[in-house]
Amino acid sequence: MSRHQYVRNLDYQDAMDEYEGYTEEEDELSPEDRVLLNQGTADVQAALGVEASKVTVAQIEEALWHYYYDVDKSVAYLTAKFINPPPKAAKPAIRQPNGKSVTSSWRIVGAAAASRPAPSVSHLFRDMPWGNIPKHREATLVPPPMPRGGLLGGSGTQPKLSKLQALAAARKKKAEEKTADNNKPKAAEAPTGKENVPPSAPLNKRVRFSGSATQDRIVAIMTPAVPSQPTQSDLQQQSDVAAATPENEPVLKATPSAFARILCGLPSDDPKAKASMGETPLDPSLFGERYGPDNKGRPPEEPVDSTWWFDIHKRKRDDSGEYEEVVVLYPNLPQDARDNFALPSPDDIVLAAQAKAKPKAGQRTAAAQSKKKSTHSPETVAAAVSELKVDDAPLPKSRGLDVLSEFEKSKGKKNASFVVVGHVDAGKSTMMGRLLLDLKVVDQRAVDKLRKEAENIGKGSFALAWVLDQRPEERSRGVTIDVASNRFETKNTVFTILDAPGHRDFIPNMIAGASQADFAILVIDAGIGGFESGLKGQTREHLLLIRSMGVSRVIVAVNKLDMVAWSQERFNEIKNQMAGFLSAANFQDKNISFVPVSGLHGDNLLHRSTDPAASWYTGPTLIEELENSEPNARALTNPLRITVSDVSRTIQSPVTVSGRIDAGSLQTGDAVMVQPSGEKAYVKSVLVDEAPAEWAVAGQNVVLHLSHIDPMHVKVGDIICDPANLVPRADTFTLKALAFDILMPMEVEVYRGRLQVGGRIEAIPALLDKVTGQVIKKKPKIVKPATVARIVVKLEAQVPLEAGQRVVLRSGGQTVAAGLLE
Amino acid sequence: MSDRRRVNGPAGTTLPPVFDDAVFEKLDTRNGRSRPPNATRKLFLKTGVTPSASGSAYLEIESSAKPGVSGLKLSCSVHGPRSLPRSAPFSPHIVLSTHVKYAPFATKQRRGYLRDPSERDLGIHLEAALRGAIIADRWPKSGVDIIISIIEGDQDRETSKLQGDEVWDMMNALSGCITVAAAALADAGIDCVDTVAGGVAALVQDAGDGSTPSIVVDPIPSEHEQILAACCVAYLPTRDEVTNLWFRGDLPASDLELYTSIVEHGIQASKNANRVLIDCLSGTVG
Repeated sequence: MSRHQYVRNLDYQDAMDEYEGYTEEEDELSPEDRVLLNQGTADVQAALGVEASKVTVAQIEEALWHYYYDVDKSVAYLTAKFINPPPKAAKPAIRQPNGKSVTSSWRIVGAAAASRPAPSVSHLFRDMPWGNIPKHREATLVPPPMPRGGLLGGSGTQPKLSKLQALAAARKKKAEEKTADNNKPKAAEAPTGKENVPPSAPLNKRVRFSGSATQDRIVAIMTPAVPSQPTQSDLQQQSDVAAATPENEPVLKATPSAFARILCGLPSDDPKAKASMGETPLDPSLFGERYGPDNKGRPPEEPVDSTWWFDIHKRKRDDSGEYEEVVVLYPNLPQDARDNFALPSPDDIVLAAQAKAKPKAGQRTAAAQSKKKSTHSPETVAAAVSELKVDDAPLPKSRGLDVLSEFEKSKGKKNASFVVVGHVDAGKSTMMGRLLLDLKVVDQRAVDKLRKEAENIGKGSFALAWVLDQRPEERSRGVTIDVASNRFETKNTVFTILDAPGHRDFIPNMIAGASQADFAILVIDAGIGGFESGLKGQTREHLLLIRSMGVSRVIVAVNKLDMVAWSQERFNEIKNQMAGFLSAANFQDKNISFVPVSGLHGDNLLHRSTDPAASWYTGPTLIEELENSEPNARALTNPLRITVSDVSRTIQSPVTVSGRIDAGSLQTGDAVMVQPSGEKAYVKSVLVDEAPAEWAVAGQNVVLHLSHIDPMHVKVGDIICDPANLVPRADTFTLKALAFDILMPMEVEVYRGRLQVGGRIEAIPALLDKVTGQVIKKKPKIVKPATVARIVVKLEAQVPLEAGQRVVLRSGGQTVAAGLLE
Repeated sequence: MSDRRRVNGPAGTTLPPVFDDAVFEKLDTRNGRSRPPNATRKLFLKTGVTPSASGSAYLEIESSAKPGVSGLKLSCSVHGPRSLPRSAPFSPHIVLSTHVKYAPFATKQRRGYLRDPSERDLGIHLEAALRGAIIADRWPKSGVDIIISIIEGDQDRETSKLQGDEVWDMMNALSGCITVAAAALADAGIDCVDTVAGGVAALVQDAGDGSTPSIVVDPIPSEHEQILAACCVAYLPTRDEVTNLWFRGDLPASDLELYTSIVEHGIQASKNANRVLIDCLSGTVG
């Protein structure tokens, strides 16, 4: 039967009857109860002794009945109620319990009870009748002392007074003096009692007064139990503890050891303590056996605060008759032991060598080469010592994989990354947000949340862009500031989106993004006036930049066509203008494609547009175009090159770098070199696409956890390379540059990926032919726009540079040239 | 190139060379307890040893007369009360942070420079013991740091047999920590309801496995054959309150009285320590 049914079938009448039957029986005492009651009454009468006559048997029985035959409690109750009723009148709040009247009877009870075995803790509550606690067991609640005056801190001295307090004290003193002058005879008569105890000596006062019975209860706080009148519970505890320490036992204070005497400086500042222990000689076997100043276990003969560990000698100067003072440390040590410390310590040598070697870090290789010539010169020793590295952490284990064959075996999806460029407000971020939403990389709920937040600050249409623009300033300004990256997968390719900023103030970030990309999506605003302003603005500059960064494939997404009702004429107009422009910028026709899209609504991104007005377009959608694009060939077999795009600190490693492998391959446990610092590091672990991996190859975006390197040696823009095949460091390089603006010897900023260095065009050795590369003119004074020239740039700092790298030169916020290192 | 600023000793134990010298008579590893069972060792306590701290104290418990057995030496400094950093959440009470560290050379086994779990455990016990004594709501929005370094750890270097674990030594250390911290708090002028002091009592077996165990206060593990149970009590004498109780050992569950009587002995030891504490404070603060 279930519980439910049981409750339903319960016969309440029956249950009630049973209960009533029980209560009826309760009226009379059972024989057992009667026996217990008789027994208890006898016990209580015995316990009360003479006082038993003051209570009736009925009262005793009543009490026993209420306390369930507990004799102790009954006795306590009866005593409190009938024998010694507490006075009703208000007593003075502070009163010393009178041992004779009240407590004597309690003592008797205690003695009677103590004869019976009982756990000792129960003693504490044994004579505690409910609601009528004897006075002497009541706690005295004393308000805690108010904070002492003066400033905090100090060690045992008078509290320091703040300025204000000092002023107040001075005034008070003055006023007191005045009154004292007025009634001098009276003041002289006044007994010097406790008023004269200085207020700064509260504890002393308490201890002193604790002996007097009248003050005892007030000063109970902070006073040990022993000197005060012992309470009853104390007595009992002490009687329980076998052979307890007698009362007023002398304080178990030890004499300080030699160590303590040195530490506290006792002999000098505590004459009392000195007198008490001055004569007792220290036991040498306790402290400092065999460690004295003469190594023979003898304690120092003279006072410790004299300086046995140094000595001042007077030495005659050679040239004159004067004496000079010379400090000799540890005069008692043998001379050879002192000589050991006369010279700089090994640590000092190392530190000095490091300090010396630091400015020469750049020429360490040079120093190493010169080592052969002068093997024992101090510089070479210093360089050798500074290259010593003591590191306890074990090297990461390498599995010794053949990464390239592993890569071929893996048959993973293709990796491709593309950068999204275009004029500011062309809708780059919104389009990418829509694409990610359609691909279900982000879910609708997240976008709805973003939309709500965006609407709160009045930018409802920016919700999709916020998927990628996550910084608060990006959101509040409504523009992308730094490159945001995200990932999505199609059937056979893993794409990395690099969403570049369109605003001209953030071109350096766009260059960093473009340097990591295989191909580009150029977003063009098809709205009325949008295309035209873009062409004048960053559309052109971005195109030139991505071309000079080596991106050859570009997909032109003609965005916001829904704003012009999917007008085919507008699309064709833009297509014609852009095609001419692109071929002028050296893009091949087969690498260009145009897609009409609507980034906000997602037409022709992943799905074909459903708008009947857009039915004229039958070409591939944006995602199909992306899949058709073949990423650049990877330089898998070249030496390793990774451009560091971010350095962070994670749990796995204090030096966590992320970046794209430009060339080569690596696996965990590999040794790598960081340029330009020239420090060696080891790859502790590798993350490819946020998943742990054993190896990584060119084209992949990786996160590396490095070990055995200090974070100060790795910076954004550095190149991580193969130690056997280093990227050379240089501060001067020759560039084959395409000029976008007039070039002459001038200050420029040099951009290579994330790296950004100031520099200067030193010389222009030649003007080159655009197609053949032949020298047209030597040493031109000036380079006109859209011509190619060979220029020499000198940088402010050493940077890793290599032939074939692509570099952009900017000046005054304008891109002036871009080119290839020679 | 790591940690060159400190002279790191060897991690393990090294035995000092003992020469055949007449001065060193044969060392008896265990010569029993020289004190009565209810007597604690003498203490030396001094406040105001660290001038730069708000309050400080130094405590020393004398060792037994045997050579090679160290006593307990503790130094405590109290910094504060000082305002909490801006980043800390609001606290209506004083925020107590305790930090107990053995010096690397304090014990038989060399200690590291970082606090190990047992030292952190001591810190937590100490915090519990002091929290009951400090009037915490006097100091809202402020914190106090109590830093104790154990200079000598009260261990017998000659004891070859490890008696269980070093938890018994830790109890002695904790009771010392509580007493010295109370002295330093008083020196710093931080308001307390009472002076708290620590005391240790233990149930020991001195004559073989079958013998009847006895209760002693302030046990030194090397003086006893076996310690069955021990407890460390932090006790406020005028309030008759225990602020922290650390009991460890294996006792028959039926014998409740044994538990209470060990605790009562611990309280007795704590009262002894408190007398020294009061004596010391009345000498300096007054």
